[in-house]
Amino acid sequence: MTYLHILTYASVAVFVVAIVVRAVRLATTPVHLRWELYPVAHEKDRVRYGGSYFEELDWWTKKREKSMLGELKVMIPEILLQKGLWENNRSMWLWSLLMHNGLYLVIGFAGLAIIGALAGTATEFGSLIKQVAYIVGLIGYIIGVIGTAGLFVLRIGSYRLRSFSPPVAYFNLLFLLALFATGTYLFAVGNEPVDAIAGFAHELITFSPNAVPAGIGGLHLTIAMLFVLYLPFTHMTHFFTKYFTYHAVRWNDEPNLPGSKLEKAIQRQLGYPVSWAAPHLKADGKKNWADIALDTGEDK
Amino acid sequence: MPKHVKITDIGKNPGQQLTHVNLADLLPLPPPYDKLDEQPKWAKIKPEHKEKLECTLDDTIAVGFPRPKTKEEEQELVDKFLSGLEKLLTRENNWTFLQPLLLTLEHCAKCQTCNDACPIYTASGKNDVYRPTYRSEVWRRIVGKYLKPGGKFFGKFTSGDIELNWTTVSRLMELSYRCTLCRRCAQTCPIGVDNGLITHELRKVFSQEMGIAPREIHEKGSVQQLTVGSSTGMTPLVVKDNIEFIDEDMYDRTGIKYETPWDKKGADILLIHNAGEILAWPENPGAFAIILEAAGMSWTMSSEKVGYDGINYGLWYDDFQLARVALKHAEIAKKLGVKKIVMGECGHAHKAIQVIADRVYQGEYNIPRESAMTLLEDIVFSGKIKFDPAKNDFPVTLHDPCNMVRLMGIVEPQRRILRYLCPQFREMTPHGVENYCCGGGSGFAIMSGHNFQDWRLSVSGRMKLKQVLEAFDDYPGPEQKKYLCAPCSNCKGQLRDLFGYYNVWEKSRIQYGGLVELIVNAMVDVKGEFIEWEFH
Repeated sequence: MTYLHILTYASVAVFVVAIVVRAVRLATTPVHLRWELYPVAHEKDRVRYGGSYFEELDWWTKKREKSMLGELKVMIPEILLQKGLWENNRSMWLWSLLMHNGLYLVIGFAGLAIIGALAGTATEFGSLIKQVAYIVGLIGYIIGVIGTAGLFVLRIGSYRLRSFSPPVAYFNLLFLLALFATGTYLFAVGNEPVDAIAGFAHELITFSPNAVPAGIGGLHLTIAMLFVLYLPFTHMTHFFTKYFTYHAVRWNDEPNLPGSKLEKAIQRQLGYPVSWAAPHLKADGKKNWADIALDTGEDK
Repeated sequence: MPKHVKITDIGKNPGQQLTHVNLADLLPLPPPYDKLDEQPKWAKIKPEHKEKLECTLDDTIAVGFPRPKTKEEEQELVDKFLSGLEKLLTRENNWTFLQPLLLTLEHCAKCQTCNDACPIYTASGKNDVYRPTYRSEVWRRIVGKYLKPGGKFFGKFTSGDIELNWTTVSRLMELSYRCTLCRRCAQTCPIGVDNGLITHELRKVFSQEMGIAPREIHEKGSVQQLTVGSSTGMTPLVVKDNIEFIDEDMYDRTGIKYETPWDKKGADILLIHNAGEILAWPENPGAFAIILEAAGMSWTMSSEKVGYDGINYGLWYDDFQLARVALKHAEIAKKLGVKKIVMGECGHAHKAIQVIADRVYQGEYNIPRESAMTLLEDIVFSGKIKFDPAKNDFPVTLHDPCNMVRLMGIVEPQRRILRYLCPQFREMTPHGVENYCCGGGSGFAIMSGHNFQDWRLSVSGRMKLKQVLEAFDDYPGPEQKKYLCAPCSNCKGQLRDLFGYYNVWEKSRIQYGGLVELIVNAMVDVKGEFIEWEFH
């Protein structure tokens, strides 16, 4: 067992656990007050102009029509094409598009390499996968380098970005750049990059660790695994927390109807003890939320 | 171009002003409002106020908090602030916004995409301090350094440097009142981060932990509403008197006789106005009554304390004040046994009662609530009232109140009415959910202490003024009367002040008003013009 094999197992394990913990933590935060922002993507026809069910007379008596497809119609162009940046921050768009898609392709490359490893390169399928993986990986690493380098230069060169950027913002970009650059170099030196990755993946899957891939392959895998280890502790987790920011907050227009599950959950939360210190609240750490909300002070 | 300000500057140079607003830097307005020497001049903060009050952010004062006298006092306030921030991140104290707050805390990519969406930042000539990310970055850095485990060691690297001292806290306190909570910034964030929410949550720390809020929205606002009955100071007796006067006045103006029903048990609708309408724009509640009576609706107003004022300022700064007022509204509706509450033309009151307080209402308090826009659309197209759109044959444009439109999705009902009743209706650019705030949102419209009015009319309202003028650029002069429809009381307050500040009535002959006034103006049964073409 080499350091790289241990690092990989550890990184993947930490990644999975940290992501699950973070997702559970977010999913189990209390039901919050509504804070939606229109357009709400699952509104069926009204999404065109940003309308809501509040536009209907006696809306609470009508069946609400929701379209999950509508949410996908917004999320997919956002994830794949960086639509928000295209519309609102054009100077960053191209670089971000290349960086993100580079990452998607590199993940795809790793996935294909694993499938190839399992299929075996002797088979026709395995051979095809290897060829596809090569193209996907090559494009992914190259556009990743261009995109990340572009973002780094932009962040350093633009006062607007530089002035509000903590050191970690540069560190993250440099980390990604190292990942993409070593990957690109792996392809450039022509040492059968797919075989190197597939071979390593095969060793991991079959628990038969061998040696660390030689040269740049080993370095690239080390950087990649460190990145996997690091990612769950950064803002880059937005790759999955976007589900919460969009679906659970921005598009959360679920009304609190009498007798609903939502109503019961809130009922529990109204019983939470409150310890805010401002005098007008008269909270003492024992009085609950509802007690304080019902005390208007008008009779005193 | 304003001088650059770094995030770390917020805690430096105590006693000195962090930034300045220069008229020459501001977003240019269209002619004839473009001449710098004709721009209204700002009142200076009085020396005695400068000496006594915290005012080192920019050239104005919103909160007006007294300067602490000793270092110990300062430290006590800093500690309180930090303890408030801590509570903000707990389930018990802040279940109301914990999830969105955590998401916003942890996922900002510092891409600054939201900056240009902010009308305040843009109108200020891109002053760094007014970026939607300035206050939120300060907050993130404080949390990163002082509240996160290991923050003392790694905070500078992971979140960025910041020094938490009284200078930081006092400037942040003022800065939390330099954003109208329009949330246009949040709309542009690709990740879904909401820097507008940070403003809201910071205001909560100041109010709920430190007992600090602008007098106009707390003491004279929500507290007065809960104790006297209305933030206007109107008691139940006074409001009934005023409405009686309005009923009579409407008869004189329109020839239509009616009597506003009070406390009618079992009515279908409890109509709640922003009580400011009753005092400042009595034609608005009058027009509502004319329409509801003409349509034969079963409706009532409440003369119980709080029940005749739909405002809910807690929406902007304090969850508990919000809930207290919202629960009073529901309790009154329950006692009357109405089928639904309809909120008059007031954006924040709409959002407070229909959206934000929705999850506070439990059991029998959960009475259906509806927008006046929807009800009015139903009435206008029901055929119950005869209209002559030719009576509204003048250029009309529509201001979209942020709370009602971007934050509630009530976009089309008011437009369908205007397209039907106003032959010369035209949209502003941008409009609908992408509209610009009037600049008076989040309490600003009622805040005029010291020289804050100069700031909100020169900076936060600037983009809206530009938009309104451009919507009528085919009739720029005073020869043609024009109407800006703003179905929101707070927006109207801001527009009234904006138009007065820049002499818009004299220079461009633009009148502002609500939606119901246009509806009544088009009614066949109403004799002559209902809209008064004089500035008020």
